[in-house]
Amino acid sequence: MDVAYPVGLVVVAAAIIIGFTALVREKDDLHRILLTDLAEILALVLIALVATDLAEALILPGLVVGISELMAVSEVYIAKEGLRAPTGPPFRIEVMNSAPGILALILVAYGIVLSGFTGGVIAAVGAVFYFMCRGHTEQFELIETVSGYAWAFWIGAFFIFMFLPGYWFFGVMIAGGAILLKVMAKMSLVGTMRGGGPDV
Amino acid sequence: MFNLPTTNIGGPELFVLEFGDIVTYFSPYTAALFVFALIFTVLAIVSRPERQVDFAFGGDAYYTKVVDPDLLRFQRFMAIACGLATLGAVTTGDVFNFTLFASMVGITNIGIVAAYRNRHVLNAAFQYGIVAMLASIPLFGGAAIVLASTGTLSMWELFGGAMAVPLIAKAFLVLGVMGEGMAPFYIAKAEITRAQGAPFILMVHVSSLLLFLRVTEIVISM
Repeated sequence: MDVAYPVGLVVVAAAIIIGFTALVREKDDLHRILLTDLAEILALVLIALVATDLAEALILPGLVVGISELMAVSEVYIAKEGLRAPTGPPFRIEVMNSAPGILALILVAYGIVLSGFTGGVIAAVGAVFYFMCRGHTEQFELIETVSGYAWAFWIGAFFIFMFLPGYWFFGVMIAGGAILLKVMAKMSLVGTMRGGGPDV
Repeated sequence: MFNLPTTNIGGPELFVLEFGDIVTYFSPYTAALFVFALIFTVLAIVSRPERQVDFAFGGDAYYTKVVDPDLLRFQRFMAIACGLATLGAVTTGDVFNFTLFASMVGITNIGIVAAYRNRHVLNAAFQYGIVAMLASIPLFGGAAIVLASTGTLSMWELFGGAMAVPLIAKAFLVLGVMGEGMAPFYIAKAEITRAQGAPFILMVHVSSLLLFLRVTEIVISM
């Protein structure tokens, strides 16, 4: 950390100058959103440069806040420009009929093996792919409920860490499984809730 | 610099709740900010929206504009969420949590302003959104530099005076809060202070004011 940190800071400072210069010169609103998203990565880089366990734990909320701000600004942009979803025949190719079952199964199974945040993301990619190819008429309220209960289990696992530290392995297992379910449910909602109708 | 008589400008602690090294506490200063934010959150919950009145020129006739209930509900939710984020920002004892709450105030401010279906207002909301996103770089960067240089994020330990926080980290924190708390400027730019649903706009001003007051306390105490 003694040499790497100042060097990293210098690189980030140069990147910030480049990014802000680009933002000042850019006039197109859509491009400015993209540039802003790129610049926001630098905030995560600044946190990541600290390179401790705590910094690793801080990256996730930073990322979530950044993504939610990006989504809010994008919604404002869509409303501002009066953009609508394109109408016409939906996108279909042959692989979308044959692949989703087996591919989703593999991804979800591998995600369960990984568990935790990473596993949740991998399993969610499988779920999103399945929903994208097969369409979705499921009740999203059910997924949301599962996600809510998983969150409660996750918090419960933290209470085990705090009050019954001897049962830490039990707590790890509950937290890993619950966060897998929660991230997977949330991620699969992100891709599918739009365009489903008035449920947004 | 000015040799303040006390190192603890917030006053004596009224209440302390420890989570490891992260200590949530109330001093008279933060308690006053908390009560102020709480009052305005309750006002946002109970208040009915104003309806704009247009007078027909040259006569006694006037008409009130209809407030769309969906937009009203969205705006009220955003105002309440903004109040809760402000409550968190003035209470928290952790620098990074403070930056997260400040970002959340920024997001909810975008939501409050963007509830109008008016091109000028949406334009202002978009510009504010870009500024708020860019402000998260100095905001998180400041917290990260605090963590890198002192090894802790706990205000309880940082305020003790034993740790030297670099000036650049303080400047970054202030710069970030300036970006997130810039919403009133864009409200004035779009002239929606007296638009329909006016009480919820107040929340933007209140949250911005409280964020500035809190970051001033943090930066001076560190």
